[in-house]
Amino acid sequence: MIELHTPISDADIAALRVGDRVEISGYIYTGRDAALPRLVRMIRDESILDTDIDLKGSVIFHTAVSPAGVGPTSSNKAEIEGSFPGLCEGGVKLHLGKGRIGADTIRSLDEHNAVYAVMPPVTALLNARTLERRVAAFPEEGMEALHLLKVERYPCIIAAAHGKSIYDEEA
Amino acid sequence: MTQSTEYARLVEQVCDTLVRAGSTFSEDKIRAYERAIEAERNPRARWVLETILENARVAARDRSPLCDDTGIPHLLLEIGAERSISGAALEAVRQGVREGLQALPGRPMAIMGDDWQRIDQSGGLDPDPAGLDPAPLLICPSPDPHRLRLHILMFGGGPAIRGKTYRVFHRHSQAVVKDEIVKWATEAVEQLGCSPCTLTIGIGRSHYEAASLMLQAQAFGNHDVQSEAEQEITRRVNKSNIGALGLRGDVSVLSTFLRIGPQRASGVRVVCLRPSCCFEPRHAWTEL
Repeated sequence: MIELHTPISDADIAALRVGDRVEISGYIYTGRDAALPRLVRMIRDESILDTDIDLKGSVIFHTAVSPAGVGPTSSNKAEIEGSFPGLCEGGVKLHLGKGRIGADTIRSLDEHNAVYAVMPPVTALLNARTLERRVAAFPEEGMEALHLLKVERYPCIIAAAHGKSIYDEEA
Repeated sequence: MTQSTEYARLVEQVCDTLVRAGSTFSEDKIRAYERAIEAERNPRARWVLETILENARVAARDRSPLCDDTGIPHLLLEIGAERSISGAALEAVRQGVREGLQALPGRPMAIMGDDWQRIDQSGGLDPDPAGLDPAPLLICPSPDPHRLRLHILMFGGGPAIRGKTYRVFHRHSQAVVKDEIVKWATEAVEQLGCSPCTLTIGIGRSHYEAASLMLQAQAFGNHDVQSEAEQEITRRVNKSNIGALGLRGDVSVLSTFLRIGPQRASGVRVVCLRPSCCFEPRHAWTEL
């Protein structure tokens, strides 16, 4: 088991391989199709610099944040509205979700030395390991707002790294 | 006991049952996972199975949701010949569901507005988890004359997307129907992502009847008691090597819960298949 603490360094990412089991601790961001394309627009027009959002070495967890808790949504829902490359440009190093992602997304991750990890939707376990949560942007989106969580030992498995996918490997 | 005390007792009982349905694995499901962990040869898939079981232990301990898609309540009432239930008691059941959704807590998922606003979600989201109406109540006769048992099942969205209710031309062959079920199930499990599944299946004379039988299969199915046909379907879908979370492996399906109802003199059977996800059936029951 590899322990990763945010912010994650380029060296941490370079050492990861498809199939590695990882536990993530520290501050991570959450968002889905409502928040993440908006965040990408903020990265590209640099309005993110006027906020306290710091994506360097960060983790984006594809989830809503509701009273029931958190749990990964399918990351391939139009690759969460095309947000992977823009978020990588903003400094995101690990995208956390669920399901197979496409070849273009895998290539884009590799170009930015970023990785994709998956986890089962283990909400009770994640709730027990979530220490803090607050809205970081877009409060009008409700449970789909960009949230900042402080987490400890979120369990996941590296599903795409350095141009390779776990879904293309034989068991 | 006064009528209001009886009402309050029923509400509390139903509330507790809903929380258990959303937060607790049955004993037979725990055993099914333990067997799956033993059988799984891919260490990545085995890790997924172990993590799901750990999640179930934490959920039961904390009485917290197994999954953040806490699901839509589906209710089934078993009633014996010597029992009856009043409209007031059914209202207490509905109130118990509302309080259970608040206590779990359920994910606020109810869409507000008129018919077409609810279709395109333009009416907005009800922030109260209790705003979620349960699906219509299914009533089944019980062979036990003294039984009045309420089952609560929580249906998530993923299996609803990948499930299917459709006709099968049987050509006077059981194998034809089984082959079609295995084909549908293999496609559905591959797409679902949240495997391992429990395949829940009803076969009836109409779409309504097949879906009702699928609900009964969820309520009455048991991972420890599998018919030959159920074992065959599980075994054949597991040959697909989809594995837990789609990571490849031996266990894509834990079990199959199949319920076959009356059939009509016709070349067609209606099959309802729900690829229940790694947490489903999320089920609990209580004697009223």
